[in-house]
Formats: sequence, structure tokens, C-alpha cells
Amino acid sequence: MKHFLVLIGLLLCSISATLAQQNVAGKVTDANGEPLIGATILATGTSTGVIADVNGVFSLENLPASVSSIEVSYTGYKKQTISLTGVNYYDIILEISEELLDDVVVIGYGTASRKELTGSVSKVNGETISRLPVTGLDQALQGQAAGVFVTTSSGTPGSSVALRIRGIASITGSSQPLYVIDGVPINSGSYSQLGFGNQTTNALADLNPADVESIEVLKDASSAAIYGSRASNGVVLITTKRGKNKQTTVSLNTYYGNQEVWNTIPTTTGPEYVALIQEGIVNRFGAGRLPSQSNLRNLDNDPSTYPTTDWQKEIFQTAPISQTDLSFAGGDEKTKFYVSGSYFTQDGTIKGSSFNRYSFRTNLENLVSERLKFGLNTSFSRSNSNRINNDNNINGVLSTAILLGSHIPIFNADGTYGKDANSSVENPVAAYKEPTNENFSNRLLSSIYGEYTILDGLTFRTSVNVDYIYFREFRFSPTTTNTGAGTNGTGNEAFNAELNLINENYFSYAKNFGKFGINALVGASFQNSQQEFFFGQGENFPGNTIKTLNAASVKRDVTSGRTEWGLNSYYSRLVMNWDQKYYLSGSVRYDGSSRFGENNRWGVFPAVSGAWRISEESFLRDNKIISELKIKAGWGLRGNQEIGNFSSRALISAGTNYLQRAGLSPTQLGNPDLTWEEREDIDLGLEIALFDSRIELLTELYRGTTRELLLNRPLVGSSGFTGITENIGSIRNEGMDITFRTLNINKEKFTWSTSLNLSFFRNEIETLAGTPFAAGFASWVEEGQPLGAFRGYEVVKVFQTQAEIDALNATAKERTGSTTAVYQSTLTRPGDLMFLDINSDGVITSADQKILGDANADFFGGITNNISAFGFDLSFFFQFSVGNNVYNNTNAFAEGMNGTFGQFASVKNRWTPENPTENIRYPRAVFGDPNNNRRASNRFLEDGSYLRLKNISLGYRLPKSVLSKLHINNARFYVTGQNLLTFTEYSGFDPEVSTFAVTNTAPGTDFLTFPQARVMIAGLNLEF
Amino acid sequence: MKNKLLYIFLFAFSIGLFSACEDNLEAELETALDASTGFKTKQDVDAALLGCYNAIQSGNYYGLRFWALTDIYAGSLTHTGTFPSFAQFANRSLLADNTEIVNMWNSIYVGVNRTNNVIASAETVEDPSFNKNNAIGEARFLRAFHYFNLLYLFGGTPNGFNQSGGVGVPIFSTPTLSAENATPKARSTEAEVWSFLLEDLNFAVANLNESNGIGRVNKNTANALKARIHLARREWADAEAAANAVITSNKYTLLTGANYANMYLSKNSTETIWELQFDANNTNSIAFFYYPTANGGRNEVTSSTTLKNLHETGDLRLPVNVTTGTPANKTLKYTRVAGEDNVQIIRLAEMYLIRAEAAAQQNKADAALADLNVIRNRAGLGALAITDSKELAIAILKERVIEFAHEGLRWFDIRRTGDFASVGITQDFRALLPIPQREVDTAAGVVAQNTGY
Repeated sequence: MKHFLVLIGLLLCSISATLAQQNVAGKVTDANGEPLIGATILATGTSTGVIADVNGVFSLENLPASVSSIEVSYTGYKKQTISLTGVNYYDIILEISEELLDDVVVIGYGTASRKELTGSVSKVNGETISRLPVTGLDQALQGQAAGVFVTTSSGTPGSSVALRIRGIASITGSSQPLYVIDGVPINSGSYSQLGFGNQTTNALADLNPADVESIEVLKDASSAAIYGSRASNGVVLITTKRGKNKQTTVSLNTYYGNQEVWNTIPTTTGPEYVALIQEGIVNRFGAGRLPSQSNLRNLDNDPSTYPTTDWQKEIFQTAPISQTDLSFAGGDEKTKFYVSGSYFTQDGTIKGSSFNRYSFRTNLENLVSERLKFGLNTSFSRSNSNRINNDNNINGVLSTAILLGSHIPIFNADGTYGKDANSSVENPVAAYKEPTNENFSNRLLSSIYGEYTILDGLTFRTSVNVDYIYFREFRFSPTTTNTGAGTNGTGNEAFNAELNLINENYFSYAKNFGKFGINALVGASFQNSQQEFFFGQGENFPGNTIKTLNAASVKRDVTSGRTEWGLNSYYSRLVMNWDQKYYLSGSVRYDGSSRFGENNRWGVFPAVSGAWRISEESFLRDNKIISELKIKAGWGLRGNQEIGNFSSRALISAGTNYLQRAGLSPTQLGNPDLTWEEREDIDLGLEIALFDSRIELLTELYRGTTRELLLNRPLVGSSGFTGITENIGSIRNEGMDITFRTLNINKEKFTWSTSLNLSFFRNEIETLAGTPFAAGFASWVEEGQPLGAFRGYEVVKVFQTQAEIDALNATAKERTGSTTAVYQSTLTRPGDLMFLDINSDGVITSADQKILGDANADFFGGITNNISAFGFDLSFFFQFSVGNNVYNNTNAFAEGMNGTFGQFASVKNRWTPENPTENIRYPRAVFGDPNNNRRASNRFLEDGSYLRLKNISLGYRLPKSVLSKLHINNARFYVTGQNLLTFTEYSGFDPEVSTFAVTNTAPGTDFLTFPQARVMIAGLNLEF
Repeated sequence: MKNKLLYIFLFAFSIGLFSACEDNLEAELETALDASTGFKTKQDVDAALLGCYNAIQSGNYYGLRFWALTDIYAGSLTHTGTFPSFAQFANRSLLADNTEIVNMWNSIYVGVNRTNNVIASAETVEDPSFNKNNAIGEARFLRAFHYFNLLYLFGGTPNGFNQSGGVGVPIFSTPTLSAENATPKARSTEAEVWSFLLEDLNFAVANLNESNGIGRVNKNTANALKARIHLARREWADAEAAANAVITSNKYTLLTGANYANMYLSKNSTETIWELQFDANNTNSIAFFYYPTANGGRNEVTSSTTLKNLHETGDLRLPVNVTTGTPANKTLKYTRVAGEDNVQIIRLAEMYLIRAEAAAQQNKADAALADLNVIRNRAGLGALAITDSKELAIAILKERVIEFAHEGLRWFDIRRTGDFASVGITQDFRALLPIPQREVDTAAGVVAQNTGY
């Protein structure tokens, strides 16, 4: 019974069996003697084959006598051809495949060999990830895979990371991919409820990168569509390490290092700053005017009498980073285990910020019988962080260090913090030192699964999974801060907990019928997520010692709530191949989500793809040059359900209170037709491997349109509502991903490989609801433009003489027919900027704005070199982005010369009658900026292209001879540097920046953002 | 056998989960009500009525901007802050896409829709203990109040209200429950809006309780609003009668002498007819917008010198309207930076001055002078002895500027009298604020813009 179906299949296919027959048996193991369960043994030249059993044992009976060899293959191992020498039993040892393309890749609900892939999957090895000194594994994907664009929004430890796979497929919805760990979709994103400027937290920072065996990124429609309504932004599959059937190995990995800011921006000194203010006042109000006459305090004195504080020096620090992890992996024939513990700690390069995490993981698997397997994957982590206000926030540490004038001392003579009476900007030292901003996250991921082999090739797998996050925040602003001064201390406490329960069940079937191979999957999954949150705020504390809300005499705000969503899914996939030459794959997923209107709750997400391995055709099969040549094509539909849980419902909300009594009022119109955003893609690919796979080129083209974009359709305000969420809008993404790898040198003691990935993409908004709209500071969302476009005025020049201005004003009067018309402002004077009158109506109005550029790179990518020689290994990784603009809103303040904000030293090059420069970045200083020189214009739009030595690492592995004496298996020492070199024209702190990282509409904006750190670490990997 | 059992167990386990998930797609709404189940009982309706009052508290409505921006426009307040949208009011260069205009318009209409919901649902509540007419009266009063405020900002003519050719606003008289209900409506004429809102207001006068407690409207509030409305419509006799009804109800008394400032420093004085209630859990940012950063504010607005200079020596209202201590040039009417200041919407002094003005306009100089002097006396000023009705009307208007500083009636007076020159507005069309550009665009031709914008 055991191999009944197999036998039938085999019998059918071996009808040509002749009289002369032979029997062959044997055992397939790896180099350690562990059986390779499921290895394929095929009689060469026939379609007869079997699969090795749990002991690695196989037997082929009644083979024709003409068969002279058998081919043994196993994914991840080198295929071997064994000549039949007449004996009946063969011990076959397979060696691990060292081909550049890893042979086995994880795909949705299964694995596949790379050769049979019809879709686009990028794989990143765990080793690559765990060596990087980064907080989260999403950060580690930066530059590693073509078509995957990772923006670390800032240098804040544990902050949000934007990962965009093949463009941006949504405007208002999420653009983050679905993250799946060991087959279980998990929560990502921010759970923070307190405002800190623009920066948010990142639930993926809860995961320990050292536990990761590999990460696969499902990029195209055909590979991701099996995840249906959550796949439109791609899927990231994370596989954690498992035990192996061998002696227990103990691994100890540790690194320690320092981070520092690689770039600071010089500011004006105190005297220069005060002189600038005085000049601005005179320029505005006339000679002899003192700042005090314009209500500016403490600025009338001789500039040289003011002190200078270098605020950046006060807030930046050299900060430690370290991680240590210890793991045990091993097992026997029945049970395998992987157990790990890890501790990671990082201080920010800005004082007051830090992140630490400890995590534990246990992966267990037990073979109950030959057919039944049970397992448990579980991890717990706790992340603690101290956050600081940042970005767009007058209490932020970096923001105040830039926005507070350098003439203010850190402390006044009386020991209180120095503050500028003319602005509400906080003292930077107070900003990092005084407030308490602690949060922690407890994260439990647990999965229990069983797998039953019903028949050979047919298995049923079921799992119950939990992802639980408990995120807690605590804030206290004491009376020494501006925030707490008016309220006698303000405290906040908040928690946000989410419990995700997922049940996954599927049957999978894999079988070869001679040359025809089939791989089928059918399953169902049920997911329910429950979220609860609490937020409380209190004021009026008894001093600054007791910081918890019990001490607050005024409880200002308390809110709590619960919300949930559910997703029921049914899915199926069928992959067929003929002779490993022609592949055809089709999948469909049927998803129902509670988030959508009852009329449109269920969606179907089909995909088909195919591949032709031309290199397997007889005319190429034995070609010495071409080892792999494959073309592939795919089509698929994917959805995006990442909108609010109740966006489709008509809501009456609480909270509209009066007289301390609870009020109710309608707050949202229902839309029972609300449904998924739907992305349809066509993908084409070409894979070439030459010279025994020493050179590989993978080129993929994609073109996709996301339709039914969820947008707020504006309604007339007189209706009592300003909009309704509807499926309008569409956006197109198209591009090309190229991966090029070469194994330059492959000697026993010396290898050198190079890998280049390049991504080109274009994106265009095809349809919007209503009129174009502004986002961020200069971002603009308009049909026909890419998401990320910048719009504003164009600067022509700096006016040098009043005559130029008068002439333009005269034209303005003439063209408008109004006697009071002026070109820009009645207060425009030499030294001010002249903006371009695009519509030639003689005056500058809002109609004179145009698209100035966009935040999308023409191309971006990375290039890695790995060299290993005589025990040393060296890798260096350059990352680049070319042709993207950054809107530097920091300069709109720090080079604004209009008021009482701190100024960069660059403004010393400003226009004055004595320095009649035409440099548009530095017009004259004028208080109040009546000409609005600071308006959104190309003055602040910069080329954000860069080339960066993202990572360089040098390691040394002790030779075996030494190791055996020390009774250790492996010992490697290494040093790694991150962000050591950056080549860019960008004037801000760091070109890798995105203040609004988590939004889709305003990428590439810099506003007082915490820059990336330069990191140097030294580490040790030990294995016993 | 063991395998088979496990296999069965496994299957049963999964099937169990399958069936448990049948209602997985019916996510339970816990933090809000599904609109299809709302406002069914008298408690629901009362909560919805509280929601109607809450709408008026918006920072875009009586919570600040509705009266503060018009006070800036009318010159009683100076803009000392950084919001460009405020600066447009100060510079009298309002553009149709000014964000404050959009927000005020939308906020008032949010209020309209809330009242429409109450009016529609209260009708369906069958509960003997439910005072339906009073509830509907409150809602209809508030709806009339909203439409009156809309007309005051966006309607009428540059020569005042109730004149020929006056423009109105779109009338939404039923709840917006679906996207279809939100289809743009053309602007009604001014006359249509008046007749719609007067019908509401008359219902309110006829049906409201004598008292509904602090902070809520009652029969007298309705009469007081009528007085204000008839004043706007230059229906002097009606205005006089309505104001008289409130004064002679004897429910309210003026605060005099040293008590005057307590109207603001304490809350809910005897002079109050309708005072919008704020508290620690329901705050506004009025004082925050006034106060300088050193006092925890943002210094956006300051009492103007024009306002200061209008006061006569010895006027008790001067230190209230224009502070001299720290912070200077602010007002004692809003002093709670944490946001707990109440806002006076209608108070007794206005009734005296309405009755006075209405009398003066009907050449009843004696009556007018008497009422005017009531207000002057309580402000610590000597009685005037004007006998000419026209001069009296002018004196009354001047008195109103001082009396209602920081309360938003200055622009109302300018609107209804057409005296734009006095505040330096030379372009006639600026009498009416622009209809928000967003509204005009969204309505795609259905809602017309005011002339000139």
C-alpha cells in the first residue's frame, strides 16, 4: 500500500520494460551521513524513478539491463550520476550545491528549486543579514535585491523602514509588503500612539536577524498572488533556522562597535547669527531699526558680545552598538531542534535615543511516525527603546539643535536652560535630557503545526499560529521642558496590543509521472486579528519626581478601544512541468475580508505563469558555454486590504461630548461597495547562466496597474461630510530589475564573486478622485505625474537692482490692468528672488507653480564583492541611487534668513549689496520674508543621488588545524564598517532620508531628520 | 492505528477551526455605532443633541475661528502670529482657497447635518417620557443658528441683509446618510434661507422649555436669537419685541461694577443667555492662540490698538478687553491656557443694545438712550444725553464694538450696516466671504462662487 500509487505511476511509465532486468538499491546521505529524505533517483535515459525514504533508502526494481547509470538529485545538493557497476547496493553521498543561485527557494506555501521558478523571487541568505549591524531584518535587505527599495527613514534606533517592492502600488493604503515568518503572516508597522514628529516605530525590529536562515522576496504577481488580498506590495518570506539531524552545534556570535554621525553641518556663530537678524530687521524696516522695535528681545546688542553654542556638538555622540547571540542546533532521526537567545543593544548617535532587544527562539520538530510530523516554532522578544522627539517638531532634539540660534547658551547664569525669548523652540539639551520617552514591545510568535503524509507525494499540513504584540509607551514632560512648563508636567501612558490568530491548512501533492511532473496545492486559511488600545494623559504633577499618571491632578485625556478584522481564504496552485523543460503554473486565491463592504467582500486573485528552460533542449543541453537559459512570463492579480477595519461602514462615533456628558454624532458615510485595491501585472524574465553558472544574468521586466485605489472622493462640505472612501484611482508601475553575478575566481583557496543588482522603475498616477492635491512640503499628487513628484515655483535669479523690479511691476500693471498690481510683492527689493511667471500674466500667483522633479531614482541598486582567500574573507557592498530629488525643507528654515531660527553657516554667502551674488540659494536676509523667498521652489530641491560604501567587512577564519586543537568547529573574527564612504552632492545630513517614510505621497523629503550613522564593529563567530 | 487516530484528530481539529471561523468576516464594531443602529431611543437622541452642541465647539466655529477671524477682519484683533491663512484676514486679501474658510464652512455644515439627524430620528422615538418637541426644538434652534451664521458670513448683499438680490447658501434639511444624499445642492437665495431658518426658529420659540439647564438653549435663547436676526434683517419692531421678551422674562441680570469681569473669570453668570461650555475634558485653544509662548501660548492674535483707543477713560471694560499686565494686550475674556474658557454666544447686554438700536431706528430716542445708558452705567461710564436718533444709533454701534470685543459681533455689525470703509475694506465684494474653492470645485458648477473671488 505504501507506494501503491507510485508504483502504478511507475508501472504505467515503464511499460517498455524488457525481459532482461536488474535491481538497484542504496542509501542517499549528505556529507555528514544524514539521510536525504525525498532525494530523487532516476534511471538515466528512462522515466523510471523513486524517492528516497525517511532513512534515505531507495530501491529501483526491474530496471532494463540497458540502464547503465542512475541520476541522484536533491534540492540544494549537486546532482550525481552513478555508474551502475553491477552491485546491488550503493551508498551515495551528495555534496551541497555551491552554485551561485541557491537552488532551493521558499515560495508561498512550499519550496521550489530555483530552476523551476516561473515567477520572480529574490533570496537573501541569513548569513548576509546577521552580519550587518542593523536593528531589523528589513533594514538588512537594503540594496540586496533588485526591485526592492528600502528607505530607512532616519537614524533613530528601531524606527520605521519603508520597503517598496517594484514601485508604489497605493496612494492612501499601505505600500509595505506582507511579511510571513515560517509560513505565518505577521504584523508589521508602527504601534505607537504618541507623536514624536514624523518618526514611527517598527514592529519588525522585534525580530532577531540572527535567527534568520533566509529571506525570500516574492516580487512579481505570479509568485505573490497566492497571498491574494495582501500581496499587492509583494511578500517577504522569512525562514528561521532549524536543527539538523546531527550532533549538536553551539554557535556563539557577537559583535561590538561604535556609531557616529558621519556628517555635521556648520552653523553661524552667535555673533554671525545676531548680525544676520539685525541685518534682516534693517532690510525690512529701514536703517537704524533695532530688533526690539519689532518685538524681538535680547538682540539689540553689538553682535560680537554674544556667545556661541555648537548645538550639533552638544547632541551628537559616539554611540555603542552590540549584539550577542547563542544558539544550539541539532537533533536525531526523530527530533530536531534549534534554540537561540540573543541580546542586541544600540544607542543612537543623538543623545537620549537607544534601543535594546532580547529574544529567544525555539524551533522543534518531531517525527511521530514515518508519516506524521509535529513541530513548534516559537519566539519571544522584548524590545525597549528610549525615543526622542524628532523631525517636524519644535521639541525635537536634532530639530531644536538646528532651529535654535547659536547665540543661546546651554544654560543661563541661574542654571536654567537657555531659551530664545523670540521663538518657541526648545533647548536641545533639555530636549534630550529632560523628557522621559520609554516604550517597550513584548512580542510572541508561536506556531504549532502537524504534517501528515497521506500518500507518497500527498501531504496535509495544518498549523495554528499566534502573533501577539503588546506595545507600551510612557512619556513624561517635566516642568523644565516647554511642553511641561505650562501644565506643571504632562504625562502620557499608552498601550496597543494586537493578537493575530491564524489557522492554515493545506494539502500538497508532488509527483513525477515520467517526464511529466506535477506539484499541486489546495488549502484554506483563517485569520482573525484583535487589537486593543489605551491612551491616557495627565497634567499637573507634584514636581518632576513622580511621573506616573496616578500623580497627575488633572486627568486630561483617556481613551481606549478595541477593533478587529477577519480574513478567510481558500487557495490553490498547480505547477506542471514536462521534462523539466516546460513549466506552467497557475494559482488562485479566494479571499473574504471583514474590512470590505458586504457587497464586495470576496475577491478572486488568479495568476498564471510559465517558463521554458531552453538550455534543457537537446540543442543546448550539452553546450559547454550556456549552463542555463530560461525565459519566463507571468500574469496575476493581487489585492491590498490594508485600509481601516471599518472604512466601509457608516459610523456614529462617541466622543462629541458636551457638558461633561457623552455625545454621539455621525462621522463616516458607509460604502457597502468598498473593495480591494487590485494590482494587475505582467512580468517577463530572462535568465542566463554561462560557464557552469560562473556568470549569471537575470533580467526581469514588469508592468503593472493598480486599480480600484482607495481614495477619499471629496464631497461638498455642505453635506456635512467632506469625503467618502471609494475605489477610484489607478496607478501604473513599470520597470526592469537586473541581477548580474559572476564568480570571478574559483580556486580552492581563493574565491571572488561579484553581484550587481540594478533596478529601474517608473510610476505614474493614471486616475485620481477630484483635483490634484499637495502632500508633505512640496510633494504633489496629480494625474499623469509620478507619486513623489515635487511641485513649486522656479527661481529665475536674485534681483540685483530696483530697476529690474520696477520694470516687472510695470508689466504687471499693464498685463492685469490693475494699478495696484505688482510682480511678486510690494516689498520685493534687490536681493530677493525672482520667480518665473510661467503663465506670463505678469504676476506671480499660485498658478505659476510647476512640477520640479520627483523623488524616484532613475535607477538604484547595489554591488557586492565577496573575496575569500587563505582563511580571510572580504566583502564590500556599494549602494547607489541615481537621479532622485530630495526636497530639503530643513534649508527652508536653516537657510531661510527670515526670522528667529538658527542658520547654517552657508548663509554667510547671502546676497548683500557688497556681495551681489546670483546664487539662488542665498538671497538677502529680510525679517518676515515679505517676498516669500522661502516658498516651495527649486531653491530647496536637490539632487539626491549618491554612491555609498554601505558595508565593508573583513574576516578571518582560523584554519582547521588550529581549530581541532581547540576543539572548536569554526572560528571567525571580523570587522565591519557601515556607511564609511558617501559620495553625494546633497547638502543635508544624509541623502538616504525620508521624513515621511511611511506615507506614499511625500517620499524624498528631508526635514530635520536624524541622519544615518557611520558604524564600525568587530565581531566573532564561534561554533562548537 | 496510532497514525490513523492522529490523522482523524488532526482533521477534526482543523474542521473545528473552520467552523469557528464562519463569522470571522463579521468584525464587531466596538468603538463606534453602526449608523444603521443609531439614535433609536430618547437617550440616543439626547446624546446626539449633545453632539450638536459639540459641533459648535469646534476650533473652526465658536471654539475660536468663527469669531476670532471675523474680529481680525473687522480690525478688533491684530494678527501677530504665523498662520498665512490668518494673515489673509488681517490683510483683507482673502482667497477662495483659504483653509480657514473651508474649515469654517465645513464645520458649520457638520453642525447642520447633526441637527438634521436629530430632527429626523427624534420623530421616530415613541417614548411617553420623551419630551419630543423640546428635543426637536433644540435641534431646530441650532439648525436655524447655523444657517444664520452661514448667511452672515457667506450670504446677503454688500449692503446688508434682507435686501434685494441677496445670495444664500445650499440648504440641506435632511440627514446625509449616504453618498447619494451628499449630492451637491445649488445655493438657495437669501430669502429662501431666511424663511427656512425662521420657520425653525419659530418652532423653537413655540416648543422649547423655559429652561434646559446651563449651556443649552431654551425659549429665551430662541427669542434672543430672533432679536439678533431681526436686527440683521432691519426689522426693528420685531427685533425690539424679541429683545424685550428676553429682558422682561427677568431671568437674567447684568453684572455691574467690579462684578463685570467675573462674567469671564467665573462662568455662567446671571447675564448669560447662552454660554458655550468648555471644561478640562472638552477644551478649546482660544487662550492658547492669544497667549505668548512664554505663557504657554502661540501669540497668534492680540487686541488691536484701534480697539484699545475706542475706550473712554474709566471704562471698566478696558482692562478686560485689553490687558495691561502680563501678558499684555490680550483679554481677560480668555485666560485659561489649558482651554477651559467658556464662550459667550448670547448675553443680556446684547438684548439691551438691540432693543436700544431698534428703538433708535424707530425714532424712539428716549427708550434707546435709556437702554444704552444701562450698558454704559454698568461699565462705569457716565450716561449720555443724546436725543437725536441717528446719533444714538451711531453711539449704540460704537458701544457694541467695545461691549462685544472678542465675541465676534463686530463684523456682524459691519455686515448689516454696510460700513466697510470704517475698517478699511474698499472692495465691495469682500463684504461676503468667498465660498470655499473646494466646495465650488467639488460641486462642479452647482455651487456658485460669490462675486469678485
